[in-house]
Amino acid sequence: MCGIVGFLDKSKTSERAAVGEVLLTMLQALGCRGPDSAGVALYGPPADHKLIMRVKLGGGGDLPSRAQRIIDLAKSFGTISDFSAAESYARFLVDEGIDERRLIASVESLDPEMEVVSVGRRLDIVKQVGSPASLERSYAISQFHGTHGLGHTRLSTESRVDLSHSQPFWGRGWRDLAIVHNGHITNYHQLRRKYEQKGVRLYTENDSEIIAVYLAQQLRSGRSLEESLRAMLRDLDGSYSCLAATATQLGFVKDPFALKPLLFAETKDFVAVATEEIAIRSALPGDYRVREEPVKEVRVWQE
Amino acid sequence: MAGIDCGDRSAREINAEIRQLIQAGHNDIWISNPGARHNLGVGLCVAARIHIQGSVGYYGAGLIDGPTFEIAGEAGWGLAESMLSGNVLVRGNAGNGAAAGIRGGTVVIYGSAAARLGISMKGGLVLVAGDCGYMAGFMGQKGTLIVCGDAGEAFADCMYETVCFVGGSIAELGNDAVVKQPTPEEAGFLDATLERYLTPEIRAKKPPGRDFKKVVAGRKLWNFDQREWQAWQEAL
Repeated sequence: MCGIVGFLDKSKTSERAAVGEVLLTMLQALGCRGPDSAGVALYGPPADHKLIMRVKLGGGGDLPSRAQRIIDLAKSFGTISDFSAAESYARFLVDEGIDERRLIASVESLDPEMEVVSVGRRLDIVKQVGSPASLERSYAISQFHGTHGLGHTRLSTESRVDLSHSQPFWGRGWRDLAIVHNGHITNYHQLRRKYEQKGVRLYTENDSEIIAVYLAQQLRSGRSLEESLRAMLRDLDGSYSCLAATATQLGFVKDPFALKPLLFAETKDFVAVATEEIAIRSALPGDYRVREEPVKEVRVWQE
Repeated sequence: MAGIDCGDRSAREINAEIRQLIQAGHNDIWISNPGARHNLGVGLCVAARIHIQGSVGYYGAGLIDGPTFEIAGEAGWGLAESMLSGNVLVRGNAGNGAAAGIRGGTVVIYGSAAARLGISMKGGLVLVAGDCGYMAGFMGQKGTLIVCGDAGEAFADCMYETVCFVGGSIAELGNDAVVKQPTPEEAGFLDATLERYLTPEIRAKKPPGRDFKKVVAGRKLWNFDQREWQAWQEAL
């Protein structure tokens, strides 16, 4: 059991809706579905020809010196700015034109505990072990303003409880792609073998990571987000309610047997998707309808 | 008439207060700000009217025997699950497993129902004004299930004696499900039931009772027969 949420601001009054606060309130309402870890994928206004990189420094040890080693390394790739290190993460902006694959590989070779958690022009992923409330205490996510975002609260069933195994997952190899998933992918090992034979590195033993890998590959091969989510119905077995977001879109897919819940509400001001209605009602007052989605449903909204 | 504001209170506290108010002699209880909480009204076994002015979460009005619940918003998973008697009326939509395993009473959903509506029902009446999702009526043993709109895939799969009626289209019939023409008595029953529960404007948009499809078990799976191995292979 996990709780997943998604929110997209449609009011267009600015590029700065209170996405962080909405996601936090929704996650807190679902906290009882999984207290193991919590995380959000937040989409802010695009950085000007810059990429936002967020790196997990590690679980302990001399984090400031690790952060310094990342700065030194990233500087050799191009101009970096807005560097910050908080709790388990280092975050900085780097020129969009750099060879990001090489930079990621170099950063991750500095220390086995370091892992690039997200890369994009708009995307910031923050996740950690613990409740949504402790995520707020560590990173003040409620202060974040932007256009859309995803959230996850986890009850681990099959893989380890640590930061790397938490969600959202970044769709490695595709800027700004993030996913959250509630369910089990039963052909996970088959898919994992297939990707590993192609040389894809998997960072965790969490079956949800395979969805991020899968969608990144689909998008890379030129499919739209909607086509990619639809293709999941053919290629992924098991139970899944899955939300995915790109720099400009929010979408979901629901498995063919309706094994996991997922509902959404849409008004002229917002789209809100969540595992339970209680999440939507507690974050967004107003008179609107909420509906459990039918099987095999795929929907995508553009911000 | 009495009211309960859910505020920040737990379902356990709210349910206890409902019982206290009924014991104090109130027959109509208004519940405000339910906020789609789970387990509201579960296990209530007295004939009172509970008006919920919003949505309920999971297992709303489950395991009840006697009361009438009017829910102004939506309902989550397991609405009225395993109820014995009473009435549950939902103005909005219902989540998965609504009216699952009910033994009696009436469940009316004015919006649409999601997957596994009325599975394994053993009696009672389920009426959905809108559509229903995947696998409605699965293993239904008794009772009546009416869907005025469209039915999803695997409709009425592996049923016993539940009788289903569908006003719209059926995406796919389940194993052993057979479509029949309603008898004149059944058409009359459908007209009377729809007239009783739906407003005249909504009733006018639904087909007349005689145009509903009746779906029952073909009884091919009731007793194992080696000669019908193929049907069993498909069903399992």
